[in-house]
Amino acid sequence: MSDTPAVEVVDLHKRFGELEVLRGVSTRVDRGEVVSIIGASGSGKSTLLRCINYLEQPTSGEVRIEGEPVGFERRADGSTRRRSAREIARFRRELGMVFQQFNLWPHMTVLGNVIEAPIRVRGLSRRAALELGRACLDRVQLAEKANEYPARLSGGQQQRVAIARALAMQPKVMLFDEATSALDPELTGEVLEVMRGLATDGTTMIVVTHEMAFAREVSDRAIFLHNGLVEEEGAPAQVFGDPKSERCRQFLAKLLH
Amino acid sequence: MGNWERLVWNQRDVLIQGLLVTIEICAIAFAAAIVMGLGLALIRLYVRPLRWIAGFWIEYCRATPIFVQLMWVNYVWPELIGWPTSFYTAGWVALALQSSGYLAETFRAGIENVGRGQREAAAAVGMSPVLAFRRVVMPQVLLAIAPAIVTQFTVIVKSSTLVSVITVQDLMFQSQRLVNVWYEPIEILTATAGIYILFIFTVSAIGKALADRLRLRYGIGN
Amino acid sequence: MFSENLRETFNLALFWEYRHILLAGLAFNFYVFACSVGVSVVLGFLAALGRVNPLRPLRWLGAIHVETFRNAPDYVMLVWVHFVLPLLISQAIGQRVTFAPFVSAVIALGLVYSGYLAETFRAGIQAVPKGHIEAARACGMGGPLIMRRIILPQAVRMMLPEAMNNFVSLFKATTIVSLITVPDMMYNVSMVTQQEMRPLPLYTGAAITYFLIIWAVAGLARLASERWRRKIWA
Repeated sequence: MSDTPAVEVVDLHKRFGELEVLRGVSTRVDRGEVVSIIGASGSGKSTLLRCINYLEQPTSGEVRIEGEPVGFERRADGSTRRRSAREIARFRRELGMVFQQFNLWPHMTVLGNVIEAPIRVRGLSRRAALELGRACLDRVQLAEKANEYPARLSGGQQQRVAIARALAMQPKVMLFDEATSALDPELTGEVLEVMRGLATDGTTMIVVTHEMAFAREVSDRAIFLHNGLVEEEGAPAQVFGDPKSERCRQFLAKLLH
Repeated sequence: MGNWERLVWNQRDVLIQGLLVTIEICAIAFAAAIVMGLGLALIRLYVRPLRWIAGFWIEYCRATPIFVQLMWVNYVWPELIGWPTSFYTAGWVALALQSSGYLAETFRAGIENVGRGQREAAAAVGMSPVLAFRRVVMPQVLLAIAPAIVTQFTVIVKSSTLVSVITVQDLMFQSQRLVNVWYEPIEILTATAGIYILFIFTVSAIGKALADRLRLRYGIGN
Repeated sequence: MFSENLRETFNLALFWEYRHILLAGLAFNFYVFACSVGVSVVLGFLAALGRVNPLRPLRWLGAIHVETFRNAPDYVMLVWVHFVLPLLISQAIGQRVTFAPFVSAVIALGLVYSGYLAETFRAGIQAVPKGHIEAARACGMGGPLIMRRIILPQAVRMMLPEAMNNFVSLFKATTIVSLITVPDMMYNVSMVTQQEMRPLPLYTGAAITYFLIIWAVAGLARLASERWRRKIWA
């Protein structure tokens, strides 16, 4: 059981009309592992992440969470059945998502954002949710902002609230979709600090990012996507330090200069 | 001043009675218009096979003058579908029809303006589309369109003066009845106009203040 | 029974039979509309100038004008102008005055919609960036010249869609003038109804006619004003 990967992606394809964004991506993420996905814009890295929690429906291929396919059910006789929106929503609880644009709900307080899903989706009592919510806000060092509305917070603070909101579902895996790209440079540090803390605590994480130094330092494995395919994959030291792929080398060189 | 006392102040019970009927019929029409408007907007956005019917109905309600609509509902509907059976009902139904078209468009714009990311964030924590709509989308819509809803209520109050034509005993009806009793229109009609203007002004001012307070509280809009 | 009534409702032959009278009535809707547009644009513009004026008393006057007429129901104003205003004027000049229904209709609708238009104009005027006005002043232009050459050309384009909405509302409001016996289409419909005792096709025909006119005109107006605006702001 323990060798079942937390997330497994098998031959994933995603097509938007004429444009094929993912062209057969396969990879696995083990429990406690931190995997960063890098690549130029348009390489399909955000789409891969969004396919993993089915915000985008893959055109073909499989996503498995702890061995269970998300999009369909495999019956004993080998036939398959597409899962309903409700069933997919159940899988999403296991995956915490942090968006580039935070997407905090503006009409709820910070604490309200964090406890909303635990109460309404997981069915926690209000008291338990409040306790959990405060603990999650503590983890992102924003306990004192619990009763503010999101619009009054800086971008960095909003993103930390978004992380707390995802954590409050106690997901098995955290997905970060360019979590610092919408922030002013001076605000990225606090968010990366929180993410680093999560990684150290053993959280399973998939991180789509442009922060190469962070990816190199924090992740256990790095994946370089190019044109919808895994071009290079391996330990960060190797991917960042001595990439085998010429395209990966060029990509990194461009970023450093 | 004697005239004012005799014609207006001494008749205040009648006028207040009329104003209460005005408020009542407007409140009923307003509630019905909100329910119908939201329903039409949802059908137009999410029920593909019925979309064009909702679209046509919205356009019809918006582009037909309220007085024409009132006459239509009052004279044609009872013959056609056996309802409404009273002038009072015909009155609020016509008022509600008119406003439901506008409110449907307001709701639709409001719903479309809630960013995609908001729903995605809801989906990402495992909310069903219905739960996300109820808890995440709708509150933001209401916040955004609160001023437009208040304006629509004042439109209903203004249009409601026409129900006096089909003998609903609202303020306008009572005031014209007083004019017909005394044959002295100056004070009565001026007072009636004043009451309407003051009432609508107050409703808009309070509504605007409340909407501003709400938006300020959440720090959104301006 | 139901299908019979349904057939009767959409049996527009009766409506067609009286088309000359009804069309003559519709013409009255357009007369009232055209004249009221004139009154409301002039008064609305004056009120808007008052509202953006540096002089406080003028600002107050403009505000009172707007708040009074914007918050007055059309029908109440119509009745007030028709039955009260002539009496007030009579008292003031010591001579008996009455208004023809048509005149009352134009004054009343003109007044009410001048309130809405004033707000539309004001919003358009205030949407012109301060920098443009300062630039004009820096070139040595005076107040009226700035208003005419710099502010209005931009403001008119900006407020056009909203002004179109106001005009469409004004046209819809012209259907109530029958209540003070201006012989518009609704008036003629009610007359014919009394003669024929068949309200279904007549009121349905009127509703359809008004709907088609307003729907088409509103759509065209939206299209035209959008296109004109886009010429300036790509």
